[in-house]
Amino acid sequence: MASVTLSRRAVLTIGGAVALSGSAVFAQTTRVAKIGLVQSTTGGSAALYGIQQKQAIELAFAEINAANTLKDIKLEAIHADDGADRGQTVNIFQRLIRQDKVVAILGPTLSNSAFAADPIAQQAGIPVIASSNTAPNLTKMGDFIFRTSIPEDQVFPTVLRYAVQKRGIKKVALIYGLDDALTRGAHDVQKKAVTELGLEQVGIESYQRGDVDFSAQLTKIREQKPDAVILGTLAEEAAAILRQARQLGFDDKITFIGCNANISAKLFDLAGPAADGIIVGASWFEGYDSPRSKAFVAAYQKRYGSSPDIYAAQGYDAAYLLAEAIRRADDVTNSRLTRDKLASISDFEGVLGRFGWSADRDATVQPKVLIGDGKSKVFVAAATS
Amino acid sequence: MLVQQLVNGVSLGAIYAVFAIGFTLVFGVMNVLNLSQGAVFMWGAYVGLEVVRTLALPLPLAILAAATAAGLLGVLSEVLVFRPLQRRGAHRWMGMVGGLALARILIGLAQEIFGTQVVRYPDNALAGAALELLGARLQLLQIVAIGAALLMVIALAALLRYTNVGRAIRTVAFSENVARLVGVPVDRIRLMTFFVSGALAGGAGVLWSLLFQSVSPFMGDGILLKGLTVLILGGLGNIVGALVGGVLLGLVEVASVVVVGSGYRDAVGFGIVLLILLTRPTGLFATRETTRA
Amino acid sequence: MTDLFYAYHNVIDLCLLNSMLAFGCFILLGVNLFSLATGGLMAIGAYLSIWLTMQQGWSFAPALTAALVAASLAAFGLGSLVLRLRGDYFTMATLAFTEVVRIIALNWDSVTGGALGVFGIPQLTETWQLAGLLALVIYLIWAVRHSAVGERMRAIAADELAVSTAGHDVARFKLALFTASGAIAGLGGGLAAHLNMFIAPGDFGFLRSVDTVIAPVLGGVWNLAGPVIGASVLVVLPEALRFSAQMREILIGVTMLAVVLFLPAGLVGLPKLSRRRAAS
Repeated sequence: MASVTLSRRAVLTIGGAVALSGSAVFAQTTRVAKIGLVQSTTGGSAALYGIQQKQAIELAFAEINAANTLKDIKLEAIHADDGADRGQTVNIFQRLIRQDKVVAILGPTLSNSAFAADPIAQQAGIPVIASSNTAPNLTKMGDFIFRTSIPEDQVFPTVLRYAVQKRGIKKVALIYGLDDALTRGAHDVQKKAVTELGLEQVGIESYQRGDVDFSAQLTKIREQKPDAVILGTLAEEAAAILRQARQLGFDDKITFIGCNANISAKLFDLAGPAADGIIVGASWFEGYDSPRSKAFVAAYQKRYGSSPDIYAAQGYDAAYLLAEAIRRADDVTNSRLTRDKLASISDFEGVLGRFGWSADRDATVQPKVLIGDGKSKVFVAAATS
Repeated sequence: MLVQQLVNGVSLGAIYAVFAIGFTLVFGVMNVLNLSQGAVFMWGAYVGLEVVRTLALPLPLAILAAATAAGLLGVLSEVLVFRPLQRRGAHRWMGMVGGLALARILIGLAQEIFGTQVVRYPDNALAGAALELLGARLQLLQIVAIGAALLMVIALAALLRYTNVGRAIRTVAFSENVARLVGVPVDRIRLMTFFVSGALAGGAGVLWSLLFQSVSPFMGDGILLKGLTVLILGGLGNIVGALVGGVLLGLVEVASVVVVGSGYRDAVGFGIVLLILLTRPTGLFATRETTRA
Repeated sequence: MTDLFYAYHNVIDLCLLNSMLAFGCFILLGVNLFSLATGGLMAIGAYLSIWLTMQQGWSFAPALTAALVAASLAAFGLGSLVLRLRGDYFTMATLAFTEVVRIIALNWDSVTGGALGVFGIPQLTETWQLAGLLALVIYLIWAVRHSAVGERMRAIAADELAVSTAGHDVARFKLALFTASGAIAGLGGGLAAHLNMFIAPGDFGFLRSVDTVIAPVLGGVWNLAGPVIGASVLVVLPEALRFSAQMREILIGVTMLAVVLFLPAGLVGLPKLSRRRAAS
């Protein structure tokens, strides 16, 4: 016990000394694993997801360092904001790899940025774990690319099947964001699932980023009398659509089915009671009943004073996965070894549940079907039977 | 459905019109294209929101406060950017880049102060209330938006036509040199014009966020492009043109969703601008530009 | 040293590429044309060139040439229609063109992949190519400016009416310049597409056009160094200000505004100004 206290104090001293005189002096006593943290904290709506992930990852590192999980290895996050601009993401990856010599990278926030920047890491042999990229084929870029954000095609078919079973849906209309890779990717998956279940597709509408008036599209959809409206939208857009649909006189019999990106407290903040009854599927939700998840939500709220969203949860698990890989590698510079150890993790107990990697290095998280409760402003797990 | 879509288009267009009138006023009077107008619109929305949320004042007061604050931002843009550039005789694109730079600062500040999250006005008696009319649902908010837009336009028209300030503004619009010769305090009139223009943008910002329940630091970018479109439709500097052009753009957008498909909504608006320019090189209702050029 | 080069490799590439694109706007600003067509013209070059290299098996040089030719033709067509518009009407028409191209790209899935974009583009653009082509563009513009054509350019900028009453065909001259600027944009589009392995329609919209035209305005419209300095500053500034994530936007805006207000000749005027300050 005494020795633990001592070593904690030692860590604190080292921390102070590092801040004062640079890390080289104490290199022998403490090894520092430098990890690039590429999350957008500016640049429009991407910043919403970026900030949450950055905070969750920094929380995870702080916890790991405080608990001495990795013995003499300390995790150091080097954060850089790419402003949701792909050119800058590439700049950052090159700098992190060549100058800062990081052992791994967590991020980037947007799939588009990942398609441009991840190949650099792949070439250099630096593992990357994404926690908000949901575009299809992302991890096919190479064997150094992992992700904890499960793509829509692992979630949506389950959700749609549930909705069809419980609500007897036959005719559907779809609406999605035309110019956003995330919403467009979700829409493609949704359309495919609709066809596979043999549902009648009565209309497809779209909008562009920044649009807040959906009344023309919704008026058109109402005329087509669908049983359900499927949303390939961000949370803010979903909220506006739900609200405006109610205002236009959509009745309660029309079910709204959302996508991964709609799992956000923001949905209820903005839509209020209009979000009641929306069906979504996700890898995680705030009310998820597991000790690990509850501890995470509490720690996040304590540190930041706000609730974590799904991207925060995915980022948090990515951080712990990476830490575990570094622990197994017992090395702070060998990125190839870290990658191999990361790939070897098969039974990880995370905030998202118990999971491992698929053959394509996607997290094999069990999707959860959720229903919005507009009054209590939370998602509750649907009774799947 | 047709009536409903008309309602949708007109209420959207009414807000476009209010925004564009402020835009076109500054152009008509001073031949300045103020590209910070979108950011001023956004600030109006936030000021209104803060007034409603933290001071718990009623809506009309919020609109008034937002318009005043946004008007002051308009004044700021004149004092900080456009007046020095005009004194220097700088090329007009310096003013355009200056406006964009100012917009960037204003958006950055809004991110700092209000965060990047989308927020909305608290629920009030207006939200949700609606009446059925010819099979369409006319929301109370839409009526308020259209009414407020009309009110602002009428007030502006009265100001320009019946007051001394209005006459002075029109004189400056005709020619700054002439205005100086007949003793009009040109600098003060320019400031007032910028104030009115900013106030209209701020008022439009509040109406917009009330109707669509969405406030964010980036909300000005889209409306800036719409404003430019309306400006061209109506003819640069033409106030009546901006009013008609705004409503027209709202209707065109809705019609393009119904007829062409929503994927081409914005392309139709811009396509029409191109077509109009090719047939009428100074816009649909060109008057001002001929005296300007 | 090589590590340092690679750490800032992409920054260097972007400076070179954006400088070249800025020259497309630079030659137009020289005759009082504020064009926002760059994004649309770049898109044409970019999508054509990747279709040729990825689908048709063309090698890079002919694909780039095709991008250049296609965008010049598009600029020629657009220019014949919109160059007769005056001032801000011209600017708006070019903006409308860019936006229409972007929206077509968003909807034309089979070629552009819509918003998902095209990924896995072969990385064929090399730093030396960018540097060489930039040098070539600068040389050509320099040569033109020091010829009779350059004389006329300056005359048009000073007094368009006088030039046309003197019997010169200003319209045809402007069209030639607009076509040349299209060639630069098309070439830049092809190079940009093969630089970062991925493109999407959002890369070629309003913002791209605005950034490209702002570069020479900030750098200096009357000096060949202007576009290079302006474009490089716009690339480097966000990197240099990275220490302050949240203040970054504001600081970039403040810098832009300061240049507009205090450096009438753009950033190239900075040394002269400070020398004058030192002397007085």
